[in-house]
Amino acid sequence: MSIELPESDVPPPKGADEPSSGPTRRTFIATSTAVGGVVVAGGVIGGSLLADPAAAETVRSGQVSLTVNGTRRTVTVDNRTSLLDLLREEFGLTGSKKGCNAGACGACTVLVDGRRVNSCLTLAVRLEGTEVTTIEGLADGDQLHPLQQAFIDEDAFQCGYCTPGQILSGIGCIQEGHTGSPEEIREWMSGNICRCGCYVKIVRAVEQTAGRK
Amino acid sequence: MSPQPQAAVGAPLSRVDGRLKVTGEAQYAAEFDIEGAVHAVIVDASIGRGRITGVDTDAAEAAPGVLRVIHHGNAPTLPYRDNPGSNNLPGRKLRVFQDDRILFHGQPVAVVIATTLEAAQHGASLVKFGYDAERPTTDLAEGEPGRPGNYSRGDVEAGLRDADVRLDMTYRLARNHHNPMEPHATIARWDGNRLTVWDKTQWVPGTQLELSTVFDVPLDSVRVINPFVGGGFGSGLRCWPHTVVAALAARETGRPVKLVLTRKQMYFGTGFRPAYEYRMRVGSDRRGRLAATDQGIDAETSSYETFTEAVMSPGQMLYSTPNVRQSYRTVPLDVNSPIWMRGPGAATGVYAVESAMDELAHELGIDPIELRRLNEPAQDPSNNAPFSTRRLLECYTIGAREFGWDRRNPKPRSTRDGDWLIGMGMASGVYHTAVAPAQSRGRLNANGTAVIECATSDMGPGTYTSQTQVAADALGLAMRAVDFRLGDSRYPQTPPHGGSMTMASIGSATLDVCIQLRQQAIRLAVEDEESPLYGVNAEDIVVRNGRLHVQGNPARGESYQRLLTRNDRTRLEANASFSPPRGERHSISAYSAVFAEVAVDATLGLVRVRRMLAVYDAGRIISPKLADSQAIGGMVGGIGAALLEHTVTDHRDGRIANAGLADYLVPVNADIPDLKAIYLEGEDMQADPLGVKGLAELVIVGVAPAIANAVFNATGRRVRELPITAEALL
Repeated sequence: MSIELPESDVPPPKGADEPSSGPTRRTFIATSTAVGGVVVAGGVIGGSLLADPAAAETVRSGQVSLTVNGTRRTVTVDNRTSLLDLLREEFGLTGSKKGCNAGACGACTVLVDGRRVNSCLTLAVRLEGTEVTTIEGLADGDQLHPLQQAFIDEDAFQCGYCTPGQILSGIGCIQEGHTGSPEEIREWMSGNICRCGCYVKIVRAVEQTAGRK
Repeated sequence: MSPQPQAAVGAPLSRVDGRLKVTGEAQYAAEFDIEGAVHAVIVDASIGRGRITGVDTDAAEAAPGVLRVIHHGNAPTLPYRDNPGSNNLPGRKLRVFQDDRILFHGQPVAVVIATTLEAAQHGASLVKFGYDAERPTTDLAEGEPGRPGNYSRGDVEAGLRDADVRLDMTYRLARNHHNPMEPHATIARWDGNRLTVWDKTQWVPGTQLELSTVFDVPLDSVRVINPFVGGGFGSGLRCWPHTVVAALAARETGRPVKLVLTRKQMYFGTGFRPAYEYRMRVGSDRRGRLAATDQGIDAETSSYETFTEAVMSPGQMLYSTPNVRQSYRTVPLDVNSPIWMRGPGAATGVYAVESAMDELAHELGIDPIELRRLNEPAQDPSNNAPFSTRRLLECYTIGAREFGWDRRNPKPRSTRDGDWLIGMGMASGVYHTAVAPAQSRGRLNANGTAVIECATSDMGPGTYTSQTQVAADALGLAMRAVDFRLGDSRYPQTPPHGGSMTMASIGSATLDVCIQLRQQAIRLAVEDEESPLYGVNAEDIVVRNGRLHVQGNPARGESYQRLLTRNDRTRLEANASFSPPRGERHSISAYSAVFAEVAVDATLGLVRVRRMLAVYDAGRIISPKLADSQAIGGMVGGIGAALLEHTVTDHRDGRIANAGLADYLVPVNADIPDLKAIYLEGEDMQADPLGVKGLAELVIVGVAPAIANAVFNATGRRVRELPITAEALL
């Protein structure tokens, strides 16, 4: 194994493509570690549990009872399972979307006890006794929730992937009373990214629905 | 043939799939409930270049739920038959787990398959690799450019020498990532030698072909399904390595496998719009007539494939310029391969051209719109072909009027609103109209409904809806009587769902198939003695709401339903194969004029877009409500490129430093004011049988330079770099 050791942090001159020039402190740490025989971890997903090797040997789980869209469910879940993964992978409620799994995009927004939350950041085992509302639970039979209908009427979506989260977030926004002006709606709907760029119409849909209340 | 009444086309209809999308019923790739599916998570290389020296999978394999770990050391050799199609780039594509070479940071090095997602994620964290790391080259300024692509007309040196005014600018554009909201995902299942994938792709037949060549199985043994695509913007134009990994994992474990890229993996597991450096030398006379431009373009590509796009075109044809020289070089770097992103090439080229035009207008003291009018060409200056339609001057006139351009103070940094410096800017936009061969099949059922099928996608523009509009009018049916199906490789072949060619290409095939069906029905009627239309000239029959009747005499006619039932026909069937017409050579493009007003905080350098308006010459608009959303969405994308979006690479090890939506900034709701789009009414029958010129790409082009020019007008500071950040304005 050949390891190039760093000499300086100065990048090589333009045009130089020698692999040996200028590794940095970060490369140094990584490569030194490799030299020492403790190889570098490749994966980065949830990596910090590694400290306790025993932790890898048993899966810890817990039981939780929660109400989802009016239906009481009692399940045993892996303690690592997020509410979002529970909904999508266990309950087959794929209307809640995984956009970033880091609370940055809002696609996973659901209501927990009436409050909007990022379900990707919410551990399922914590939800004992809660009431969860997802996009699948909004319509009353064939009758869409007014905000669902407003999204269709205003064309407040394109690809539709952020839409369930936008609608749940919009319901939260209306319930919180943050709909006094388009500016206020924009501010309070900014936790939900729409990459197709339908914001103008999302604001209209929320405004219209709030106005009808 | 008598013209069909136009009822659906041009009407502001809501999406036919709207209900599915607002109720959560629309199923995206990872959401199909496949019996027995297990989960796969990819392990990414943690070095930017070098070789794998060792792999330790013991801990991962011992972890509960983990079924298998596949890496280069135990993966089977995959055939990877040659496939010049499928949007594969020139070069040698990345072959998953086939050797120990690391070509870029984040390259897939292993996949962990487990019974649950949690177990697979944890398993992936337990796989340990040893590397022999080399220093990667990932900075555009440090790489060694390849051989240039050149274009030249006239004598640029003489043109510049003799010019009254000469400007020399270098513009830089950051790398951008598409970041569709839906992460790329694949569910793969083998049934014997047959492979089915539910895959996020913008090209169903392209992915089908790629998988059949990688695994060396017959094309018709591979089925690709994706009825809904949660955004793409180009990221789904190729079959990426993870799709192969999913199929490989499924084959090796004998189980259906679901593999979803993490948001972070989207930054190296799929492509991106490359970073550019665009040097522009411009010469003009005192009045503002362009004499010469000399353009040097450098762009990122990967070390293993050469990515190019139509970045040179705007600089050749947007304005009348006798002397033009361009040199376009790609710079191979230790990065994964780029891919086309919304407005590919044009968004970049137009940014440079339109920024330079604004600089020239300022230098000469001429209104920016006037300067553009002065240089409006009578024919395409790049090839002397006549324009099919080019209504850019109208776009300027209407845009200036509607936006209130006359209120703009041409003197920079002269308008204030409290702490905010206010500025207005404009830019033109252009995108070449692309049309490609497409196939479609349809059937008209005896119950008066129709089904149209083709293997295209709908990543959000509203293909389901707009194609249904085309079909409904051509068949004379109500929208609800038409079922337009897409997203399955068992349907007829289509070109990539990109390049703004879906309506022109698939729409033309849909139109053709529906006209055939209508004509079959009309023929049946006029030859049927029992039909009230017996003996009528077929040319004189129209169909409205499922009822055939004599034009001008609605009383004489009958429904499809009656006609087919009486004739014992359960259905009529037709196939269409559309090929772009090869007639007289025209220069066919869609055009725009984009206007922006910005406010810049004089102390903090914050830039806020206050309002935008754009006017488009895009030919016929099939679905105005959806076209409006497209345009507004394009502006939002352009605002992102202008002010926020920047993939940051740590050049020390090739790691992407902001691989996530918390750090790679895209516009959020609070960033977006009211935006307005105006489409010129018209059609371009040289372009395609529908008269459309394409929308989706055009609407992002010109946005960033309009904003950049507005920032200059507001502040007097010319930032020649995208995104324009507060730091650059301090």
